Amino acid sequence: MSAPVLAVSTLRTYFYTRDGVVKAVDGVSLSLDRGETLGVVGESGCGKSVTALSIMRLVPSASGRIVSGSIRFDGKELLTLDSAAMRAIRGNRISMIFQEPMTSLNPVMPVGNQIAETVALHQHLPPRAALDRAVEMLALVKMPEPRRRAGEYPHQLSGGMRQRVMIAIAMACTPTILIADEPTTALDVTIQAQILDLMLEMKERTGAAVMLITHDLGVIAETAQRVVVMYAGRKVEEAPVKALFARPRHPYTRGLMTSIPRLNRAPDESARAHRLTEIPGVVPSLIDMAEGCTFAPRCPYASEQCRVAFPPEVEAAPGHFVACWNHDALPEMVRA
Amino acid sequence: MHVFLIRRLLAAVPVIVVVTIFVFALLHLAPGDPAAIIAGDLATAEDVAKIRAKLGLDQPLLIQFFTWIGQLVRGDLGNSIFSAHPVSELIGQRLEPTLSLTLMTLFISVLLAVPLGVIAAWRVGSWIDRAVMGFAVFGFSVPGFVIGYVLIWLFAIELDWLPVQGYTPLSKGVWPWLSNILLPSITLALAYMALIARITRAAMLETLSQDYIRTAHAKGLATEDVLRRHALRNAAIPIVTVIGIGVALLIGGVVVTESVFAIPGLGRLTVDAILRRDYPVIQGIILVFSGAYVVVNLVVDMLYTVLDPRIRY
Amino acid sequence: MTSATATAAVAVAPPARSTFGAFVRRHPTVMIGGALLLVIVLASIAAPWLGTVDPISIDPSHRLRGPSADNWFGTDRFGRDLYSRVIYGGRISLIVGLSVAALATLIGLAIGLVSGYLRAVDAVVMRVMDGMMAIPAIMLAIALIALSKASVLIVIVAVTLPEVPRVVRLVRSIVLTIREQPYIEAATAIGTSVPRIMLRHLLPNALPPLIVQATYICASAVLIEAALSFLGAGTPPEIPSWGNIMAEARPYFQLKPWMVLLPGVFLAVTVLAINLVGDGLRDMLDPRLARRM
Repeated sequence: MSAPVLAVSTLRTYFYTRDGVVKAVDGVSLSLDRGETLGVVGESGCGKSVTALSIMRLVPSASGRIVSGSIRFDGKELLTLDSAAMRAIRGNRISMIFQEPMTSLNPVMPVGNQIAETVALHQHLPPRAALDRAVEMLALVKMPEPRRRAGEYPHQLSGGMRQRVMIAIAMACTPTILIADEPTTALDVTIQAQILDLMLEMKERTGAAVMLITHDLGVIAETAQRVVVMYAGRKVEEAPVKALFARPRHPYTRGLMTSIPRLNRAPDESARAHRLTEIPGVVPSLIDMAEGCTFAPRCPYASEQCRVAFPPEVEAAPGHFVACWNHDALPEMVRA
Repeated sequence: MHVFLIRRLLAAVPVIVVVTIFVFALLHLAPGDPAAIIAGDLATAEDVAKIRAKLGLDQPLLIQFFTWIGQLVRGDLGNSIFSAHPVSELIGQRLEPTLSLTLMTLFISVLLAVPLGVIAAWRVGSWIDRAVMGFAVFGFSVPGFVIGYVLIWLFAIELDWLPVQGYTPLSKGVWPWLSNILLPSITLALAYMALIARITRAAMLETLSQDYIRTAHAKGLATEDVLRRHALRNAAIPIVTVIGIGVALLIGGVVVTESVFAIPGLGRLTVDAILRRDYPVIQGIILVFSGAYVVVNLVVDMLYTVLDPRIRY
Repeated sequence: MTSATATAAVAVAPPARSTFGAFVRRHPTVMIGGALLLVIVLASIAAPWLGTVDPISIDPSHRLRGPSADNWFGTDRFGRDLYSRVIYGGRISLIVGLSVAALATLIGLAIGLVSGYLRAVDAVVMRVMDGMMAIPAIMLAIALIALSKASVLIVIVAVTLPEVPRVVRLVRSIVLTIREQPYIEAATAIGTSVPRIMLRHLLPNALPPLIVQATYICASAVLIEAALSFLGAGTPPEIPSWGNIMAEARPYFQLKPWMVLLPGVFLAVTVLAINLVGDGLRDMLDPRLARRM
């Protein structure tokens, strides 16, 4: 197996606020192989977006800082690169698309120019050629009438179309890695499917690796090959997608799966099975976290050991990693 | 876009109407007989009657108004009571100095204040930001005439680099003109700069917190390009608005500054007219200045169509 | 789809600190400005006891002296003690500033409330306000003053008039926003009278930005009064006002610059203090406002 194209080791990104240190990412390690789709799943606030921003070194510098760890891209350490070298990588070798297509585009610049900007910058194309490439990209992302649309402004496009433009911008320089942070969350369900298909198609075409960040297990099931589950700034489970759904080994992952509402219950099933199961408790504040496993306060299987130290990551099955003291003592999951 | 412009033009009409009514009404707002007030304390009944006839104050109000409007439309602003010259002629003579002053002030202000505001926003919370904001508070608080005198004392008297007061027309050469207009322009510019720097900073802060700035960074753009092409282009809209509104401030300051620096412009004309109660001149000047303000804001509106494509389409 | 509990990483609220020291540290601008202003106000009120003499008593034998033990700021061209005149001059500036702020706020509030709530009135009122804003404030004030006998009252009225449109616009925009809220509809539906709605619902919302605006108007009024007096169109010359004093000192500027600069410094510091208080109030009352203004 060739070396992973992206290797993140014990990344720690903290935010220094007036009320304390927010440990948004606290020792996360993950890797991405060439051409693979990695899903990163977890609820809002678990640190998945901050991880992505850390990889791009776009953490808001007013209060945030990458405190320690290493991020190796194609063998090169990103955290020690000077800013010019990092800028050469952003948008060029590693690209990112964001959740809010409605506001992620400059309202006073035609969309074609916004795409052309990247190729002009990284591939040093003259303006005419850059715009042609932009129109090409718009055609690739299935935008109808690409040349006309290239001259239009974001407010003239729908949400789905704007996300297509974002994808065009991200893929214009054929990056090695595409990081997609909740790309479909803000879109209509029908458009979501189209955008996901488009992303997969672009990935096939260019051989790029995709890091897909979402809170939606359904999206993960459809698109990812491997999955990383995050909770409160740490990684709690990692597995190939089928294995994860077949046998989740971390209590949090199990909680996520059982809380998916199902519409196909038979009418004679018990009343208890009709209630939406939830994970009791709330996500902890990321300031002054207690020692021990971050999930312990809400975990139905927590033991004394769990409150003392954060569990190490162990390989419970080939390629299936979990950070839980009691992972092999969990009862069979009740699947409706 | 044309619809937008036509609508703005139409909106300006009622403003002009209100201004003309106001200016006309000024004469009649105060208690007492306007003619007597204009004639002054030492006037005889004969003087008062003469003034009344001259200004047509013996006519019914409505007739006075329409006669006056009629004259206005023809470009006739009446005649000065004091010098009997047409007001428009007097205004025309004093136009160049005032224009030089205002344009120079505008130039200096925008040139310096916008970058200061951008830097303050970009380095928000730093000492630069605090310095710029501190400067802004000062510029806003210290009155123009105080600054003027301080500058005169420092640069003209102590250091003797620039003349104390007066105005040299452009026709006599650029440097003489510049050396006279520099101190007054800086004096006037200070308050204007305070306003512009503040609004630039606020607009930039607002813009820099938008998502598309994050996208711009994610593309790998250098900071100057992000600031210039993405942030400033969007912040320009509120900034230009305030520049337009601030012109009213500028005009007010012109009166005082021309007085301090003995510049023979429209401001001085106003002060002289006040002291002599030369009402036709006062009315004429107010009309000219208000008209200028309306025109400037129309220009700002036109700039919007260039700056903001959401208005165009 | 998972129904994840979406609590973002929220910073825990700090414990409430009610000590005065903490308050001062968090709001330095208000404190400095407020302290300065307090000093100036007290000095103006306590003028007779601050080592001053009658500010209008003439002493031609001692005219145009420099600062000395007898006359801390020197004397003016009539031999009047400059220090006394400057201290008493503060009274005029403060009286004018406060009166204009109060008057403009009250008038603007009344007009703005009515205009924002009653559409028919609104169209006319806004045109008038736009027109008033097109005329430079100083010119409007000068024109009004030129028509009447000079007095402090006239100055107050003349300076108030151009400041009213600003307040009207502010109040009106707040009223327009709030008017759309469901609870106003509800209040109307149960029969609440219009004046009562204005008083109980619209007014409390307009108050914080109005207070901030009133402070700025006070600063502006002090400046305009000074400018008017400087031009000879403001406070009558018998009553000392900083603008007056500076105007009278003009011919002697090159030889005795302090005669012009000293009242100027007092003026600048006073306006600065008021502006600082305004900024501080704005930060205190609504941090969101701070970024927009």
